Amino acid sequence: MLDSWTQALVFLLLSFAVPIAMLVVGMVLRVRSRRKTSPIKHEIYECGEEPDGPAWIRFHPRYYVVALVFVLFDVEAAFLFPWALGIRDNGWLAIADMTLFLGILVIGWAYAVRKGAIQWQ
Amino acid sequence: MTWTDLAPLGVELILLAGALSLLIVDLILPPGDKRILGIGTLGVFLAGLLATWTLPLDGLALGGAYEGDAMGVFLKRVFLLSGALAVLAVQGHGPKAWPRRQGEYHQLILYSVLGMSLLSGVRDLILLAVAFELMGVPLYALAAWQKRDAGAAEGALKLYLTGAVSSAATLYGFSVLYGLSGSTRIADVAAAVSAHPSPLLALGATVAVAGMGFKLGVVPFHMWVPDTYEGSPTPFIAFLSVGPKAAGAAALVQLLLPGHGALLGTVMELFLVLSAASLVLATLMALPQSNVKRLLAFSGIGHMGILLMAIATGTVDGLASLLFYLLGYLFTNAGAFVVVHAIREDGGDDSIDSFNGLVHRSWFLSGAMLLFLLSLAGVPFVVGFWAKLFVFMAAWQAGFEWLVILGALVSVLSLFYYLRVAKAMFMGTTERRDEVPMHWSVRLAVSICLIAITGMGLYPNPFVAVAEAAAKAFLG
Repeated sequence: MLDSWTQALVFLLLSFAVPIAMLVVGMVLRVRSRRKTSPIKHEIYECGEEPDGPAWIRFHPRYYVVALVFVLFDVEAAFLFPWALGIRDNGWLAIADMTLFLGILVIGWAYAVRKGAIQWQ
Repeated sequence: MTWTDLAPLGVELILLAGALSLLIVDLILPPGDKRILGIGTLGVFLAGLLATWTLPLDGLALGGAYEGDAMGVFLKRVFLLSGALAVLAVQGHGPKAWPRRQGEYHQLILYSVLGMSLLSGVRDLILLAVAFELMGVPLYALAAWQKRDAGAAEGALKLYLTGAVSSAATLYGFSVLYGLSGSTRIADVAAAVSAHPSPLLALGATVAVAGMGFKLGVVPFHMWVPDTYEGSPTPFIAFLSVGPKAAGAAALVQLLLPGHGALLGTVMELFLVLSAASLVLATLMALPQSNVKRLLAFSGIGHMGILLMAIATGTVDGLASLLFYLLGYLFTNAGAFVVVHAIREDGGDDSIDSFNGLVHRSWFLSGAMLLFLLSLAGVPFVVGFWAKLFVFMAAWQAGFEWLVILGALVSVLSLFYYLRVAKAMFMGTTERRDEVPMHWSVRLAVSICLIAITGMGLYPNPFVAVAEAAAKAFLG
């Protein structure tokens, strides 16, 4: 009991120590510019693209619909892998189960296609 | 697991197979006339109802997480009837108002009823949470069905946000119960409460009950109810105000009553306070309403107070009175909302004024509405009287004399606002003399509700006997 708490405490201390140490090391080692401020200094550091326009815009709902259809197949894949491992033990029952499961998912996919959920215009 | 283990879930399988088949039919049908989907949905509900009499639904399923018993069968009938009535009443309105979305509307109702049907026999916290969500999530979409209407959007958003918060609260409560008892089986949780009572268990139960209270719409978690009722399609409200409320009461019963009401004991004071607050505040807030849907919303909140009173007894009599109450309330409230729907279809705006002089335009609708209102108020010879009387008797025997007196007083007061609508119908004046146009489905739905409430009002005994048998089967 005490050991596991000690580990947690060490982990907590480390998780404080590492970022503080990184900041301190950075402060010592970094190249200083002469000017106090410059546009380059205000740029996002190693965080991808420069943002273009405000982030508070309204996204078209079709993005969410496509995301939903994606989840459909994502879930399918997540279930297919453990099923493939167990298929030898469970035989035809497993195959019937998975056929039913895939059948229901295919109905969902057919619904999405028929209702124009993945038409992009 | 083998296929025979699923036998107690016969009704659920019928609903699921029906919903999926209708989805395929919807895809095959050319866009245009989709009336067949509504008729098909009614067929699925009727098949489910038939199955409650013909299939063997007793026994364990899903590894013991579900157990079919007589109470489950009784509740399934209530849920299926509420779904069927709501679908029936929308058959005239749907093809006109949203012809291209008929398939989805009926699908969502079917899935919601599927979730309720699962709730009728849960023995496990996880299945309880899943079934509760399966019931609740379709409702959010259905509430926003009139999507161009700002009021509908507001009502649906309120329902969605309170629903999301309440689900989080319920799940948090369940996690505390699980963490302290070490089991998700409700019977084990109840045993743990009896063996080692702890304030933390009471906390878990309290949070879970509060979450369900949001869904039921009891004071102080009621603020979404009037807005959602006002903004959503009225036939859907005929469903929302009955089916999910009955399912919420069923969930509370399944969670709190096992193990001689061990978990109920930890939240008893909360229950009584919520019940009294719902009774009093709902009545006071219903008095000044000028919109019939808002008025019926507050009246519904008051009825939830009576449901809580019945659950709080924890006795066989109390549970039997609750089940009978749900059955009576189903027909009464659904009927009232279908009448409101008929007036709305005629060009009314849900205000009490649009009921003015209704008796000159349709004796059928005005007479039916009068009986529904009297039943809601609890006047003799319609079912609402017996339903309230049985709950009050059970609560008196359980020692809640003050709550019964309060409930009776509030019932008398509630007659005043119910009769305001009646006054408008019979003593109000209107220029119009044309008959109110009614789709056959609306006429049929109102007739079914009328026959049910007067039949159960004049001969309550056979229904009470079934409810008692169901309550005994659950509490054993």
